[in-house]
Amino acid sequence: MDSWGFIGLAYGIAAIALTAYIVGLRGRLRDAGQTLTALERDGGRSAR
Amino acid sequence: MSRPLVVTRVVGALAGAVLAVGLGLAFFVVPPDAVQGEVQRIMYLHLGAVAAAYFAFFVTLLASVRYLWKRDLRADAVAVASAEVGVLFTGVVLASGSIWGKSTWGVWWTWDARLTLTAITFTIYVGYLMLRAFAEEPQAAARYGAVLGVLGFLAIPLNHFAVQWWRTLHQPSSIIRAGGPSMDPFMLTVVLVNVCGTLLLYGYLLLERVRLERIRHRTLQLRLSRGRRG
Repeated sequence: MDSWGFIGLAYGIAAIALTAYIVGLRGRLRDAGQTLTALERDGGRSAR
Repeated sequence: MSRPLVVTRVVGALAGAVLAVGLGLAFFVVPPDAVQGEVQRIMYLHLGAVAAAYFAFFVTLLASVRYLWKRDLRADAVAVASAEVGVLFTGVVLASGSIWGKSTWGVWWTWDARLTLTAITFTIYVGYLMLRAFAEEPQAAARYGAVLGVLGFLAIPLNHFAVQWWRTLHQPSSIIRAGGPSMDPFMLTVVLVNVCGTLLLYGYLLLERVRLERIRHRTLQLRLSRGRRG
């Protein structure tokens, strides 16, 4: 592998790791937000 | 709570802009290194990730101390969020360092003091996250996590000074050293731009990860209050 191959590998792995983390974090935020919204909605109904 | 704050969006946009400028300079403007040639461009990624990882674990240390002192769950949220983002950047440090090592030393890995301590640091904070994930009681998770968040930070100065205290294959520090940086001033400027961009990216990820912790805390509070009423 030449120099640019090593550079591409290093930056490529970093880009994939960061993108995967951001996508995963957004998924966790979406799921947690939906759970919270559902709980708050149910709480509002039972309070009424 | 379910949408990112304006400050989060601003920090994210700034991170993208600064990293675009920094990586543009690193790839298209800075000349190749006189000794290592083109492959030395990995340094701009590697040092940014090192700075973000060190800073992340320092934030975990401060937040852990605050939690132990005040029993403040907001500090605990910052501690766990920063540790997770720190593990991500330490993974990037290990991967980019290994690839850079293969191209310059001829090996992917060697049990050198700096490399070994970086792997130990990574393992400590992965252990921290596992401890948090497996603890059944949230207050216990926060307490044990805070103790490990303080003790784990001892690995960071040890790691930083390893290249001075022991004979290592890893080069000594060329920026934070007695007598000032040994690097070419233009290369140093580009390194600092990339470090700023990576720290802003860390800030963006931290704010988003803290938001997730806040949503989880709120959900847990609601479930506990319903349980008491039910």
